[in-house]
Amino acid sequence: MLKIENLVTSFGSVVALDGVSLTAQDSKITTVIGANGAGKSTLLRTISGLEHPSSGTITWQGESIVGRRPEDIVRMGIAHVPEGHAVISELSVEENITMGSLFRRRKFKADVSAATEEMYTLFPRLKERRKQLAGTLSGGERQMLAISRALVSRPKLLLLDEPSLGLAPLVVEQIIDSVNTLCRTTGLTVLLVEQNANTALGVADHGVLLALGKVVADRPAAELKADATLRAAYLGY
Amino acid sequence: MNTFLAAIFSGTSRGAIFALVALGLVIVWRGAGIVNFAQMGQAMFSTYIASTLIANGNSYWVGFVVALLSGAALGSILDILVMRPLSNKKKTELLASESMRAAIPVIASLGILGALQALAGILWAAEERGFPAPVKQEGFLIAGNLMPFTAFDLFVISSVLITLVITTLFFTKTGMGLAMRATALNQEVAKLSGIRTNRTRTISWAISGAASSLAGLLITPTSNLSPNTLDLVLIVGFTAAVVGGLDSPAGAVLGGLILGMVISFVTFYDTPEDVFLAILAVLLLVLIIRPRGILGSKDVRRV
Repeated sequence: MLKIENLVTSFGSVVALDGVSLTAQDSKITTVIGANGAGKSTLLRTISGLEHPSSGTITWQGESIVGRRPEDIVRMGIAHVPEGHAVISELSVEENITMGSLFRRRKFKADVSAATEEMYTLFPRLKERRKQLAGTLSGGERQMLAISRALVSRPKLLLLDEPSLGLAPLVVEQIIDSVNTLCRTTGLTVLLVEQNANTALGVADHGVLLALGKVVADRPAAELKADATLRAAYLGY
Repeated sequence: MNTFLAAIFSGTSRGAIFALVALGLVIVWRGAGIVNFAQMGQAMFSTYIASTLIANGNSYWVGFVVALLSGAALGSILDILVMRPLSNKKKTELLASESMRAAIPVIASLGILGALQALAGILWAAEERGFPAPVKQEGFLIAGNLMPFTAFDLFVISSVLITLVITTLFFTKTGMGLAMRATALNQEVAKLSGIRTNRTRTISWAISGAASSLAGLLITPTSNLSPNTLDLVLIVGFTAAVVGGLDSPAGAVLGGLILGMVISFVTFYDTPEDVFLAILAVLLLVLIIRPRGILGSKDVRRV
C-alpha cells in the first residue's frame, strides 16, 4: 500500500502540491484526474524521487521513501512511466527494455530474460521491432515501450503518467486494457494519472480528483464518474 | 611513388594518434554527454607521472601501467569534484538558462585544462623533456629503402585498434556500456530505470582518462613532453571526433585517420604551413555535407 499524507512540493514560489493526501490500495487501480496544471505529474515525480517534497510523508509498504533517490525507489518496487512516452530514442527497442532490468541482471538473471519475453508477449509489436531505434516507433508503440521499460523491473507499484497523451483512442484503449489485465492477473498496484477522466475512471477502482494542487474528491471511481456537478466544475464536460 | 608511400605511412601513424584522442572524447561524450577539453591536460599529467617514474629507474612498462591507472584516477576525481556538482540542476538553475547550462561543464573543462597545465609547470618545470618509446623508432628497411614507418608506429596503430575494439564491444555488448549510453542520452529515464547515473558517469570519466593517458604515452615519444605540447593534438583530435561523428568510436578512428592523411599529404606535396587550412577545409566540408559526422548517428546534438 502506498500512503501519502499532507504532501507539499513547490518550485520556487509556485506550490504544485498543496497538502495532498491519498492512498493507493494493493492490486487496485487508483486514478488521479484533474485539469492541466493540477499537480498530477508533480505527484508522480515526487513519489518516484525526481522531485523532493518540502513537507509531508510518502509511505510504501510501511516504509518512508521521502528523500531517497529515484534509482533506489525503483529497487523498492516502484516503477514510474513519466509523461510523454519517455523512451530513449537513440537506443533500440531491445536496449530500452534491457535498460529497465539492468539493476536486476546479476541477481535475477533467469527472471530478467523471462520478464523481457513477457513484455514481447504483452506487446507483440515491440518484438517485431526489437532491433529498430525507439525514435522510429509510432507514438503508441513508444508508450508501450515506455511501459515495458518500467514493467521489466518487476514493480509492485506502477506510476503511469498520462499514457493517453497524443494517442488515437483505439491505441489508448489497447494500452489501458493491457494495464488493466496486468493489474487483475498479477496483482500489480497502479497509480494512473490522466487528463482523460472518462477513460481513467472507466478502468479504475478508485478516483482522486486534484485541482490546483489540492484533493477535491477521493471516492470509488464509479461514484466519481457519476457525479455530474464535480465533472462540470473541475473537468469541464 | 616513394613520396606517395611515405605520405601514406606517416599519415597512418599520425592519424592513429588523433584517432586515440578522438576516442577518448567520444567515450566521455557517450558516457556523460560532455565534450571534455581537459582531456589532453589529463593525458599530459599522467605522462609526466610516467616520465618521473621512468627517470627514477623504473621500467617503461611500470610507467605505462601507472600512467593509465593515474589517468583513470584523475578522470574520476575531476568528475566527482568538478563535474558532478555542476550537473546538479538545483544548484545551477539560478546561474544560467537551460541552453546555457549545457555549456557549463565544457567551460569548466577548459578551466581544468588551464589548471592542470599550470600545476604541471609548478611540479615539473615548464621546459620540454623527452619521453621514451617501448620499441624502436627507426624506419623499417624494405628492399633497401628506409621507410618512414617504424616499429613504434606499428605499436601506436595496434594500440589504437585494440582500444577501438574494446570500446565498441564495451558500449554495445555490456550492461555497463548500455548504462553509460542511457545516462548520457537521458539522465531522467536512466535514473527511473534504476541506473546509478552518478557512478556511471564517473566510470566513463575513468575509462576516458585511461584512454587519454594512452594517447599521451604514444604521442610524447615523437613530440617531447611539456605542459602545452598536447594542445595541438587535442585540436586535431577534436576535429577528428567531429568529422567522424562525436558518438561513434569507429567514426573517431576514421576521422583521425582522415585527418592524419590530410596533414601528411599536405606536408609532403604542398607546404606544412597549409596544414591548418586543410584541416579547416575538411571540417567545413563535413559540417556542410554531413553535420552529424561520417559515422555519427542522426539524433546526436550538433556541435
